Amino acid sequence: MASVISAGTSSGTALNMTADTSGQLQLATGASATTAITIDTSQNVAFAKGFTVGATAAPAFSAYQTTGTSLSAGTTTKVLFDTKQFDTNSNFASSRFTPTVAGYYQMNACVFVSGTVSVLLTILNASNGASRSGSLTNIAGQGQSASMVSSVMYFNGSTDYVEIYVYSSNALTTLNGQYTYFNGCFLRSA
Amino acid sequence: MLYNKIISIYTELSEKDFNPFTGTIRLQNDSDGRGDYIKEWNHPTLPKPTDEELA
Repeated sequence: MASVISAGTSSGTALNMTADTSGQLQLATGASATTAITIDTSQNVAFAKGFTVGATAAPAFSAYQTTGTSLSAGTTTKVLFDTKQFDTNSNFASSRFTPTVAGYYQMNACVFVSGTVSVLLTILNASNGASRSGSLTNIAGQGQSASMVSSVMYFNGSTDYVEIYVYSSNALTTLNGQYTYFNGCFLRSA
Repeated sequence: MLYNKIISIYTELSEKDFNPFTGTIRLQNDSDGRGDYIKEWNHPTLPKPTDEELA
């Protein structure tokens, strides 16, 4: 349960408070004292109408490569991201993002390679079938190519996950460091 | 490389046949040390190569 402050509709109970030792606080409104806002013991704030604030409640992560991934021609290859910049809810492991909070997420990834290729497709490969693909940019004069993908995706908060795959028409190795990255963040609950 | 082996068996195939969005054959590598493998083979006329042909 939680300690509750509620705004009622009767003159005798217009403002009512009940307390417990859970450490949670709820604000409620209306004749039935419906919960509008919940603040947990970690100070995460959840709004009943679908918006949540807090490190645990709103996962975000960012990762990149320190070792390039070898790509075979004509093959869709999982891209490895071995270095995390941040991972607020420990939802990123083995180059896979598995958020434990259900909702909609902004996902971004870029794969950079040395050399110009005819086809380079970066794919947000989602376990729930909602995969998305990016487009190719050949960087004139630099002999480099990049493929970026960005999309809003839904995750169920338990089994859904996403990994980055890339399809290349040529055998290549991805460029590591700041060039090849994968990041994402929670936008809103369902 | 699996792609090169398949191209050498079926010389009529091109890179477009392997594109995940326009092709009918999908080769995949999960970067788990097991290498390239045939994820999907949906070519309308050519049969999937046998393990012996790919060895």
